[in-house]
Amino acid sequence: MENATPHGDAQQCLRAARANMREIKRLVSQPSAESVDQAVAILRDVEVQLGCVAGLLQKSGNKPDLLIRTEAEDLQEEVAVLARFLAQADKMLAGWLQAVRTNRGGYTERGQAAPLVLVKKLTVEG
Amino acid sequence: MGSLFSSLDSVANALQAFQRAIDVTQNNVTNANSPGYAKQVPVLESQDFQAAGGFNGGVFEQTQDTRNQYAETAVQQQQSLLGQFQQLQTALAPLQTTFDVSANSPIPAALNQLFQSFSQWSTQPTSSTYQNAVISAAQQTAAAVQQTASELSAIRTSIDSNIQSSVAQINQDAASIQAYNLAISKQGQPDAGLSAQLYSALEDLSTVAPVQLTTGVGNTVTVLLGGQTPLVIGTELHQIQAVNDTASNATNPGAPANIKIVDDKGTDITSQVTSGGLAGLLNVRNNLLPSLAGGGPQTGDLNTLAKGLADSVNNILAAGSTTLTPPYQSGSPLFTYDPTSPSAIASTLSVNSAITPSQLAAVQPGPPLVSNGVALQLAALNDPSNPQINGMTFSQFFGSMASRVGNAANSAQTGVTAQTQLVAQAHSLRQQVSGVSLDEEAVRLVQLQSSYQAASKVVTVVDQLTQAIMNMVQ
Repeated sequence: MENATPHGDAQQCLRAARANMREIKRLVSQPSAESVDQAVAILRDVEVQLGCVAGLLQKSGNKPDLLIRTEAEDLQEEVAVLARFLAQADKMLAGWLQAVRTNRGGYTERGQAAPLVLVKKLTVEG
Repeated sequence: MGSLFSSLDSVANALQAFQRAIDVTQNNVTNANSPGYAKQVPVLESQDFQAAGGFNGGVFEQTQDTRNQYAETAVQQQQSLLGQFQQLQTALAPLQTTFDVSANSPIPAALNQLFQSFSQWSTQPTSSTYQNAVISAAQQTAAAVQQTASELSAIRTSIDSNIQSSVAQINQDAASIQAYNLAISKQGQPDAGLSAQLYSALEDLSTVAPVQLTTGVGNTVTVLLGGQTPLVIGTELHQIQAVNDTASNATNPGAPANIKIVDDKGTDITSQVTSGGLAGLLNVRNNLLPSLAGGGPQTGDLNTLAKGLADSVNNILAAGSTTLTPPYQSGSPLFTYDPTSPSAIASTLSVNSAITPSQLAAVQPGPPLVSNGVALQLAALNDPSNPQINGMTFSQFFGSMASRVGNAANSAQTGVTAQTQLVAQAHSLRQQVSGVSLDEEAVRLVQLQSSYQAASKVVTVVDQLTQAIMNMVQ
C-alpha cells in the first residue's frame, strides 16, 4: 500500500496516537519521575506517528478529510489537556520547592529563596 | 526496696507508652478515610537514668503529626483551581444552549428568514403577501433577540444567587475554623481529631476561594483570603459579602451593576479572589455576561447586534419611497427600541406597531429610480462582502459571540479534566512526602519537576504537528 506506513494509514496513525495519549495521561498523573519519563518515551512515539500522518497527507495532496479532521480535533483536545496539566504541575512543584527552599536555607540578600543544596550525608553512630 | 519499686514503675511506664503507641496506630486505621485526617506517628524516647530520684529511666511516648504543610498547601491550591473550572463549566452550560450556532437556534434562524423575506420582496415589491412576510419575519427576529436577552437575564439572576451561596459557604467554613480555634485554645495542645476537622474545612473552603493558612499563638490558625484578607484570626471571625458595584455602571444607564466582594470593613477585595468556584462565577458575571448582554461599563454585543440591525434596516427604508413617482413618500421604520438605555436595546427591540405593509418603502428614488432598490439593499445586508458590524455580517457577528462562549466552555472543560488529574496527583504526592525528611522531599520534587519539563517540550512539538495536520485536511 502506497498510502500506508508501519503504523497503517493516516487515520489509523491518528487513532494509535490518541491511544498513546490516553496512556500518557495515565502515566503523568502518577507522581513519580519514572512514570513521567516513560510517558515522555511514548510522547516521542506520538511525535513519530503524527509525522507519518503529515507525510501521508502531503503525499496524497492535502485533500479535505472530515474523518481525519475530527480525529485530529479530538487529539488536539487531549494535547491541550496534557499541556495544561504539565504547565500547572510544573507551577505547583515550583511553588512547593520554593517553600521547601526557604524553609531549609532561608532567603538570599535579594529576598529570593536560598538555592537548594542537596548533599548525600553519611552518619556514623556507635 | 526503693530500686524494686522504681523498676516496676519503669516497666509499667514503658507498657503504658507501648499501649498508647498501639492506640495511635489503631486510631490511624480507624480514621484512614476520615476527611482531613493526617497519620499520627508514636515517637518513643528513652528517658535518662536519674540516680538521685531512684528513677531507672524508661520509655516516654509522644504523638507526632505527619502532616506536611507544603503538601497541604499544594492540595488546597489545586483544589481551588479545580473549583474555579468546575464552576465555570456549570455557569457556561446554559450560555452554550443560548448561543447555539446551529441554523435552528432562534437568532440565526430568524435572521435567515428575515433576509430571505427581503429577497422575496425584491422580486415583487408591491406584493402584499411578500410585504406581510417581511413584517412577520421582522417580528420573529425581534422576538428571537428579546428571548435571548431574557435568557441572559435569567442566567445572570441564577449566577447572582450562586455567588451569594458561595459567599455564605465561605463564611460558614470560616465559622467552623473559628470554632476549631476556640476548641484548641481551650485545650491548649494539638489534637488529631480537631486537626482533621480543620483541614477538612480548609479543603472545602479552598474549592470556593483561594485561602492561606498560618499557625498562630497557642496552635490557633489564621486563614487569609487571597493571602491578604483575614477570614479568621484566632477566635475572631471576619465575614465577607457580595454586593453590587454601583460605580461599575455609572456611565452606562440601565445596565446591571457588576458584583464585588467586600470584607467586613467594606473594602473591595474582588481582585483577591483569583481562584475557586467564586472566581469562576465572578468571571462569568463580571466579564463574559456583560460582554454579551451588557452590564457594568459594557453595552454588550447582543445590544450592538440589535441596534446595528434595527438602524441599518430603518435607515435604508427611510431613504426609500413607497411611491414610484414624485412626491416621494419616505418609508416607515420597521424596528423600534428604547434608545435611552444602550444595554436594554435587545430586550426592547420590537417591530413598529404602527407600520402597515404598504408603508414598507421598496423604491429607491435615485436617480436612477429603481423600483425594488430598497428591497435589494436590505437583502444585501447579509452579503459577506457588505460587512455591517466590526467587519462582519449580522449572522457572522452572532457567530462570533457564540464562538466566544464556545471557547470559554471548551477551555473550562480542558481545565476541569487537567485539574481533576492534578488534584489526584497532589493528594498522591502529599501521601508520598508525609513523614519523609525535607531533603528526600526536595529530591523527589526536583526529579519530578525535571521530568514534567521534559514532557512539556515534547508536548509543544506534538501540538504543532497536530495543528499542521488539521491545516492540511481543512
